[in-house]
Amino acid sequence: MSVKPAGRPDKPTLGSLQRSRSADVRGQVFLGLLLLAVTLAIGMVFAVLLSVIADGADVLSSRLWGFLSNPSSSDPVKAGVVQGIRGSLLIAAIVSVVAFPIGIGAAVYLEEYADGGPVTRTVEIAVRNLAGVPSIVYGLFGLAVFVNTLRGITGGSSVISGGLTLSLLVLPIVIITASEAIRAVPSSLSDGAYGLGATQWEVIRTQTLPSAMPGILTGSVLSIARALGEAAPLLVVGAAAFYTTGFQGFLDQFQGAFTALPMNVANFAKLPADQWAGHAAAASVVVLVVVFFINLVAIVARARITKRLGR
Amino acid sequence: MNETRVIETNRGDRDDEQLPSSAVNSVFTTRGLTVYYGDFRAVGDVDLDIAEGEITAFIGPSGCGKSTILRCFNRMNDLIDSARVEGSLLYHDIDLYDDAVDPVAVRRRIGMVFQKPNPFPKSIFDNVAYGPRISGIRGSMDELVETSLRGAGLWDEVKDRLDKSALGLSGGQQQRLCIARAIAVSPDVLLMDEPCSALDPIATGIIEELMGEMKKDYTILIVTHNMQQAARVSDRTAFFTAEADEATGQRRGKLVEYDDTSVIFSNPADERTEAYITGRFG
Amino acid sequence: MATAMRPDQDVKTSGQTAPWSPVLPTLTSRGVVAGVEVILYLVIVIMVAIVEYYVAGPITDFGLSNWWIGFVVYAAWTGWNWAGAQGPVGSYVDHFIADAAGRPACFSCIAVRQFTRFGILFGIPFLILDSNVWLSVALMVTTGFVIAAMPDRRAPWDLIAGTTITQSLAGEASVELPVLTKPSDLQLSGQRVAENRRAKRLLQLAGFSSVIISAYIIRVIFGEAWEFVAASDFEWGLLRDIGWFPRRNKFDLSTLFVGTLWITGIAMLVAGPVGLGVAIYLSEYASPRLRGVVKPAIETLASIPSVVLGFFAISFISPTVLQPVGGSLGIDFGIFSLISAGIAVGILTVPIVASISEDAMRAVPRELREASYGLGARPVTTALRVVFPAAISGISAAFIVGISRAIGETMVVFIAAGGSGGAIFEANPTEPGQTITAAMASLGAGTDSVAGSGIAFQSLYFLGALLFLVTLILNVLSDAIVRRFRQEY
Repeated sequence: MSVKPAGRPDKPTLGSLQRSRSADVRGQVFLGLLLLAVTLAIGMVFAVLLSVIADGADVLSSRLWGFLSNPSSSDPVKAGVVQGIRGSLLIAAIVSVVAFPIGIGAAVYLEEYADGGPVTRTVEIAVRNLAGVPSIVYGLFGLAVFVNTLRGITGGSSVISGGLTLSLLVLPIVIITASEAIRAVPSSLSDGAYGLGATQWEVIRTQTLPSAMPGILTGSVLSIARALGEAAPLLVVGAAAFYTTGFQGFLDQFQGAFTALPMNVANFAKLPADQWAGHAAAASVVVLVVVFFINLVAIVARARITKRLGR
Repeated sequence: MNETRVIETNRGDRDDEQLPSSAVNSVFTTRGLTVYYGDFRAVGDVDLDIAEGEITAFIGPSGCGKSTILRCFNRMNDLIDSARVEGSLLYHDIDLYDDAVDPVAVRRRIGMVFQKPNPFPKSIFDNVAYGPRISGIRGSMDELVETSLRGAGLWDEVKDRLDKSALGLSGGQQQRLCIARAIAVSPDVLLMDEPCSALDPIATGIIEELMGEMKKDYTILIVTHNMQQAARVSDRTAFFTAEADEATGQRRGKLVEYDDTSVIFSNPADERTEAYITGRFG
Repeated sequence: MATAMRPDQDVKTSGQTAPWSPVLPTLTSRGVVAGVEVILYLVIVIMVAIVEYYVAGPITDFGLSNWWIGFVVYAAWTGWNWAGAQGPVGSYVDHFIADAAGRPACFSCIAVRQFTRFGILFGIPFLILDSNVWLSVALMVTTGFVIAAMPDRRAPWDLIAGTTITQSLAGEASVELPVLTKPSDLQLSGQRVAENRRAKRLLQLAGFSSVIISAYIIRVIFGEAWEFVAASDFEWGLLRDIGWFPRRNKFDLSTLFVGTLWITGIAMLVAGPVGLGVAIYLSEYASPRLRGVVKPAIETLASIPSVVLGFFAISFISPTVLQPVGGSLGIDFGIFSLISAGIAVGILTVPIVASISEDAMRAVPRELREASYGLGARPVTTALRVVFPAAISGISAAFIVGISRAIGETMVVFIAAGGSGGAIFEANPTEPGQTITAAMASLGAGTDSVAGSGIAFQSLYFLGALLFLVTLILNVLSDAIVRRFRQEY
């Protein structure tokens, strides 16, 4: 029996090239575990959505309009979320008016004007870290500044205070997404415009911003969705659990007591479950519908504008 | 007078004022033009006289700084934070780097065509009308757009789809659209930074032919990697090279030779030029 | 732009010799804009109606309720505007776009036009909502000016509909190079220079405001926290007590720390394996088609508001999962427990861990994988021995961000962990408990509402400062790690 040189295997047989199922047990088990993780994750999505819809079906099917159009009440049959809807709409309006111009402006400044010096780095670090601060900390800031210090303007715990607080919360998100969108605009476009004798602002206005618009718009719309899902800062700012309103004048709409849709969910969830669980679930469904709808709008708007820009 | 001008580089104690004044018809006169990126001296001591109504080609190996020099002529280097320009650059006897000069106004007179076709994501019409509109020119753009597109030899191909996106054009058409866009503001000079390097031979041929026609209206400076192209289209050729600095080991660009194209390609004065054009250059 | 007009097309085809000849959007694009605006108006009207309904009761008189008047006014105006594509009336409207020489009209002219257009849209609903006429007029005017100040003086939905309204021209344009004799001939018009400078200043202001805001947030939070430390005659001993009862001056921080640790730990036990499993599957195994299904599903999870998860914890996790399982193991679960809240926080954290780890693994160069396969390694070996170690820094960053998010999560714990005003020190996760965030929420909310002063109020800021510091450190850490792993490739 001759000794083969080390390192040179026998001639291959068909068997040695075949997949051997038994040998790869480890691989099969691993893949099984991965699939389990994926199934669990997707299961979580469905469990949340289905259980909330199932719990809320009763309220939503028996008195949908009443639920959407009634204010808060201690009577489960009368209670509704119209105050939350109104509050959320006003908050969305305030966020778009306050956070979008500042955020998009700051992003343009950071990407187009800033020189990479210490000042710019400070701005960038500040923005990145603001994005990671827990939302409730913003609530504390809102409580100290908007509710207490600026009480004369905001009227205390009002939708103005809540809206401004959430504007600060989404500001870093708007800045970061807008910056990314602007950075993605190819420099050949701005070079072309500069080469034709455009000023920096003209380049930004006619080339950079239009090309970055899909990304900026998507980021902005998603940040609205984020603001509409937030409850913790509003809780601290003092969104009211129950309040009754007589006829409200224009200013009272903004300066008076307020609540928002996620606060409705939280308030219902804190009440005895036997009577109020259905309300909490129904309010959750309303929040989810609003948030998913906004996400959808972002996706559609992005696709539409991207197509228009021919890219 | 067909003197052979070999520019001596790295002359230490030169006095700009005492150099013979540039030819009457020269558009640009540079003396000791040097560009730094931060502390790195990318290309230095370039002395050139660019004649009006001619095509001047810049050739040389990669990294020799020919594009960098080209970008001085319309102050595109101002857009790079770390770039710094020294020496003098006269445009019709006006110092382009004078404090009173606004680089934006310079670029309106000195147009540029880039390496990769970069039409704006707008209609063909809006691409051509972009320059006139931003420089505040009012009135109907129809005639202007047509003239410019004809000037770039593109009119017949696109006249029926002026409102369609420019991104639907082929690469060669896009590059000619960029030329039309540049000439729409009636510039004095056109800078072309390797305009054909992204194009196929047929599109390249069309653009080379176009350049021959355009030179009666514009002074053209072209950077090219393609020596045959320089030999075909240009009247004068400047050869740049990159040489390692003895102290730092960094490769820095310098101008070796500037002369009539025929001289450069048939009887170069410098052996480095000869080595390059005969392909013996690494 | 497909629908964009060629300048002066209308004028040429109609053969008119108007003293000024503005270029107008096409009829179709105007129609699209009008449609969008009518829908917007209806949405606003419906919103107003809902508010009106609950403020003043059901509207019985639908016939001439004033928001119908508003709609009629608006519809008439829109029709007028639409007709403006050709008619003489429309020409008058468009006079506000361009002057006779074809230059865009002055800023205020365009503002006036835009506030008639959009001011009616947004102003009238508020006019109806409230009888304060001047306020409504102010709102209308402001809206007009805001829109006139936008790029191209268009509203955002004009961009979607693709209209251009400022391009207006008279006569053929001619281009001539100005004479050039001295350096100052190479200058821009003062107007363009000024516009450029104004834009820069404005954008700079926006950029710096974000720094000022963050600096101010830090100042306020830490300032108030310091007041707590100073005013409470602070001794560290105070922080160890029977529990967290801020109204009774019992600030046992360990109660909150234990709660926070449990929540974070349980959340990461859920989110770590699941998120990582999903990430490995998506980056190493999934076909592009499957990825296209799984990834949006996981992203959906990320967009579910945390209040909904809080409710899910008490309506599903506790009664349907924990209580039966606990019952069979002999553990007694209530509806409110740290475990239940922790699992819900974990569900919220899954998409964060999954997406950041997946990014890290996809950033591993293809060549590394191919080298491994080329040596005959199986997928499992490649994933665990090659890709995982190469992506380890990114994956740890994902876990750190996940932890930071779990620590900061408020509403789930506030709803589902059961601690309201205060909590006795409790180390058992099957019992209700309190976290830093939930304690803050309780202090701020009705359950244990605190007025604008006093030591309990300031304890809120003490906790806030603590939370801020912890999450800041975690974020800086993950940032540093991520940057290192970017440098590797």
